[in-house]
Amino acid sequence: MTADALMTLVQWLSPAFPTGGFAYSHGMEQVIADGGIRSAADLEAWLADVLRFGAGRQDAILLAASLQPGADHAALATLSRAVQPSAERLRETTEQGEAFARTVAALTGQAALSAPLPVAFGAAAAGLGLPAAQVIALYLHAFASNLVSAAVRFVPLGQTEGQAALAALHPLIASLAETASTLGPDALESAALGADLAAMRHETLDVRIFKT
Amino acid sequence: MTAHTTIPTPQMQRSRGEAAVRLRQDGGRVRLVDLRQQDSAKAILPRVGAVPEVVFLNTSGGLTGGDRLSYSLHLGDGVRAIATTQTAERAYRAASGTARVEVALGVGAGGWLDWLPQETILFDAASLDRTTRIDLAPDAGCLALEAVVLGRHAMGETVHHLAFRDRREIRRNGALLHLEPLVLETAALAAGQAVLGGARCFASLVMLAPGLGDALAPLRRVLDEPGVQAAASAYDGRLVLRAMAQDGWPLRRQIARALSVLRRGAVLPRVWQYQENGR
Repeated sequence: MTADALMTLVQWLSPAFPTGGFAYSHGMEQVIADGGIRSAADLEAWLADVLRFGAGRQDAILLAASLQPGADHAALATLSRAVQPSAERLRETTEQGEAFARTVAALTGQAALSAPLPVAFGAAAAGLGLPAAQVIALYLHAFASNLVSAAVRFVPLGQTEGQAALAALHPLIASLAETASTLGPDALESAALGADLAAMRHETLDVRIFKT
Repeated sequence: MTAHTTIPTPQMQRSRGEAAVRLRQDGGRVRLVDLRQQDSAKAILPRVGAVPEVVFLNTSGGLTGGDRLSYSLHLGDGVRAIATTQTAERAYRAASGTARVEVALGVGAGGWLDWLPQETILFDAASLDRTTRIDLAPDAGCLALEAVVLGRHAMGETVHHLAFRDRREIRRNGALLHLEPLVLETAALAAGQAVLGGARCFASLVMLAPGLGDALAPLRRVLDEPGVQAAASAYDGRLVLRAMAQDGWPLRRQIARALSVLRRGAVLPRVWQYQENGR
């Protein structure tokens, strides 16, 4: 049964699953346009900071709380909305959460909670019976992987360089997931002021490929 | 040698302070109905008129490990007021312990609060934990600012160690609407452009009220102060402005220009009128 649950998790996080992650750059398109990410090393540093100090950690905590038995998903959805720093970041998490929930509901024939992505994902994944740290690690990995593939196309970077940057983030992702699985929503925090500002500035970027 | 080992900090004793103000609308005038001041916290009301101004003051001269400071302001139904602080708040190097600051602001039905404290200056190795909680009645609104400067630039101080937690929560009718749980610690100071990227000061301004989208375009037009990177966004009944800069003075000028747009040209509190504080 674990293999079955793991396959479901991997399917939900696959770029082929119509959550639509490819349309969102989490403000990174602005940073690339500013010349702030020019190499695989720049990309890795940007992603590491976003994971550790920004939305990575926040989503990990929201997901951990949403996986808990008896979680108050409505309250977690409110918290998740309240902590978004800008219109596009709110859109990024709510649109993906809605698309994810819609597809899961269509596949399972059961109602799925429409909420910001980490909350909708946690509500759906709670039934898989997988360890929280594993679910969180794969979720963060999918988030980082999506941004790597955006950067590979638009910096641009070599495919292998991009994948090497992602592989280098594995220890950080594993440790963040382990930590987040032990924390409650009170531990939500952020220091990613630069990433927030980039996401806000993206709203007025002249030529935009990404929604965020 | 770093600055904090050569310059004595003015105050290293633990201090306590609590100032609480309550204003109520009474027959077309705003009345002070309660004023409590304990120890190092004071509240001054230079004008109590149609739009009263409340100025909070920490007479201990700054915060260090173990200090406790609390400010509260409650506006009754229909009261519009401006609140600020007399000077920039300094958080000194903490030899041990953490300074804790609680700010509780309440706005009654149809009321409005401009919470425009002056900047917080964090010295190297400061340890400050601050919570600002704003509770709005269903049709109340607010404009709330927070500005932070890392180190005393005039002295060339660079902040390498820090434990700064600055949590801002805004609720309407008890429901959480806006949360900024900033935690800036030593590891984050060393991070890259997704965190501070060389900025030494930053500000966050949030306005909550119905129909704010109209203010976004005029606000964006003034976000061009040299030396400042700033952006604004409107969503979910919120209008937010974030700004980052290398130096406190252009940031202050940018904030003043943004406030002028958001407050439709209303005169800023006197303490905000282009003083070179905190440099």
